[in-house]
Formats: sequence, C-alpha cells, structure tokens
Amino acid sequence: MNKYILIILSLFISLSVFAETLPYNFYDTTRVPIRLSIVNEISTKDALTEGQNIELRVIKDVYYEGKTLVRKGELVNAKIETIITSGMNGFPAEIIVDDFEIPNIPDSKLMSTYYKKGQNRCLWVYPLKWSLTLIPFVGSLTNLIKGGHAKIKTKDVITIYYYPNWK
Amino acid sequence: MKKFIYILLFILFINCQSYANIADYNAIQTHVDSVGVRLLNFNKIPKRIVFTYSDETKADLKQKYKALKNRQIIVYGKQYQFIQTDDELAGMLAREIATVMKSYSGMWGGSVDAVQVALSSKKFETVADKRAVDYMVKAGYNPLGLIVYINKTCPQKRQDVVARHNLTSKRLARIYEYITYKYPEYLNDNEYINNQYYQNFLLNSIENRRRLENKLKTGTVGEIDYE
Repeated sequence: MNKYILIILSLFISLSVFAETLPYNFYDTTRVPIRLSIVNEISTKDALTEGQNIELRVIKDVYYEGKTLVRKGELVNAKIETIITSGMNGFPAEIIVDDFEIPNIPDSKLMSTYYKKGQNRCLWVYPLKWSLTLIPFVGSLTNLIKGGHAKIKTKDVITIYYYPNWK
Repeated sequence: MKKFIYILLFILFINCQSYANIADYNAIQTHVDSVGVRLLNFNKIPKRIVFTYSDETKADLKQKYKALKNRQIIVYGKQYQFIQTDDELAGMLAREIATVMKSYSGMWGGSVDAVQVALSSKKFETVADKRAVDYMVKAGYNPLGLIVYINKTCPQKRQDVVARHNLTSKRLARIYEYITYKYPEYLNDNEYINNQYYQNFLLNSIENRRRLENKLKTGTVGEIDYE
C-alpha cells in the first residue's frame, strides 16, 4: 500500500515540476519595429538625472496584422536609465534609455534598451599617450583629453521592437 | 586479506568523498546558474553569457579578463562564501553581467569598449554598480542585497586618488543614491530594515546619507562628494 502512495506522490511531484510555467516565452521571432524620435534634444552636457522621464514621438505608423498599433505623432514616455559621464583619455559619455511606455503594449513584449555614445577619442589619444611617454611625465597630459558628450538629437531614429506573440 | 580489505575501504572512502565534492559543486553551480539565467532572461539580454563556479582563490584580474574576453562570469569560492541570500548572489552576478555587456557593444565587436572597461576601472565600477541595480530590480530581486553584499565583502582602503578602485564607502553611497532616486519603493517598504548587515551599512554611512539628504532638500543636481 505504502509503495502505491509513494509512486502517486512522486508522480504528483514530477508533474508539478513540469507544470511550472515561466513568466516569459521567447520562442516566437515575429517582431514589429517601432520607430521613435526624441521631442527635446538631451545631452550629457546638461543636468540630466538617472530615472528622468523623456518624451518621444512615433515617426511612422505601426501596423500588425492589418491593425494600427501606434499612430504616427503619438507621444511615448521613456526613462533615462543610466548616464555614463565622459572620462579621461578620450572615454566617451553614454546615455542608456529604457522603460518605454507604449500605449496598449506591455513592457514584457518589448526589446527596447537604447544606447547613445559620444565621440570615442581613445583611438587617437592612446597612441599619442604611448608615443609621448618617451618624454617623462608628458604622456600623462593626455589624461586631460576627455571623450565626447552623448547627445540624443531630434533627428536620431530610435528603433525598438515589439514581439506580439511573447507573453 | 585484512590489508586488501583496508585498501579497498580506503579507495571507497576516497571515491565517496570525491562524489560528495562533485555533488556540492553541482549544488552551488545550479544555484549560480539559476540566479544568473533569471537575471539574463528577465532583462531580455540577447547575448550569450555563461556562469562558472570555481573553488580557486579569487584572482581579480583573471576574473575581469574572462568576463571581457570570454563573456564568462566566474564566481570564486572566496566570493561565494559571503553569499547568504539570492539577492546578494544576484547583486554579485548582475555587476559582472553589466561588465560583460560593455564588451558586447561598440567598435570591433566590442574590443575597444572592453579595453576601456579594463583601463578605466573606477569609472566602470560605478557604472556596473548602477546597471546591477537595474538588472536586479527587473529580475525581481531587492537591490539592497547589492549594498549588503558589497558592505560585507569589499574592504575599505585609505584613499582612492591613486588607486584602481573607488573607496567602498563611495560605491555604497552612490548605489544608495541611485536606489533613492530610481527605486524609492525599496527604501519606503524596506525588507532589509531588520537585516543586521544592512543596519551596519546604515551605521557606517551616516555622514554620506546626510549629504544625500541635503542634496534632496536643496534640489541641487550634480555629483555629491562622498567620503
């Protein structure tokens, strides 16, 4: 009798393990691009804060299966996720934007992180630094050269993807 | 005959021990994988990153090299011994994921960015801390776990002017500030308030937190000069 109880119990446990469903399923590859542009230009030169809201505008109608999902001109909110300030030796600044709030589209169905970098001056600063090290202390002067500021211009096209069949 | 039995028993004992070790490693590796992959999936990171547990003593440079070149996150035994909750493990792994992600972006297949991360340690240390908070929140972990983990594991040096790393107190203060601005709900409804390690952080960060409170009161922008 005990044997049967054990078998039933183990079956129940194994079934419950298989029954566990994940809150995501990335199987489907169908995707719809959503093209946006920023309403007001932002730059790491200005006083930006992480978590700050920014406004974007849809630049092209978005269709899926014959229906209009988002109309051109519609406003969308997003957040400045992280700001990386420019650094010594030509390291560029960077802005990371995420948390796009598209009407009627849940965040779980979006692939949306957007990165914008400033000018990377490392490629010429480092060779310069190494060539100047022949003269004592002069190589360190390149530390003063900073990388470019990151700027998201109104003409920049920000493309994020909507995966309609994801959970 | 007796001798033979003793040898047999000895071999059996050694084998049992090595099986036990493998089982232990497997349990730790499974733990690391489950938290790591949860972070990747919930953050929808479409890049390959692997997690490996190693009982070697921690080698800082080797860890960074593996992360940037092989996109392999190594959790060393010395680091894992400090882990007490999933939040803390998630904090540790999320930092490394942030580092690896830098090696995937930019020119020449991310090689230039990888060099920048390696050369500009202090800068990207702060960036990795901040990105780790975001990754943790999206994966359903409490970002205060990162504060607890760093507070327990990272020593406090005398200065960071001539150093490759930031002062730990500065890192903690910046993470706390980041959570205050972006995810205040974790501080308002604080699950860690009865955690003795978190309370220890609150105790040793009084001066820095006062500076942050002052910034919030006055509404100033810009970086706070933490100590």
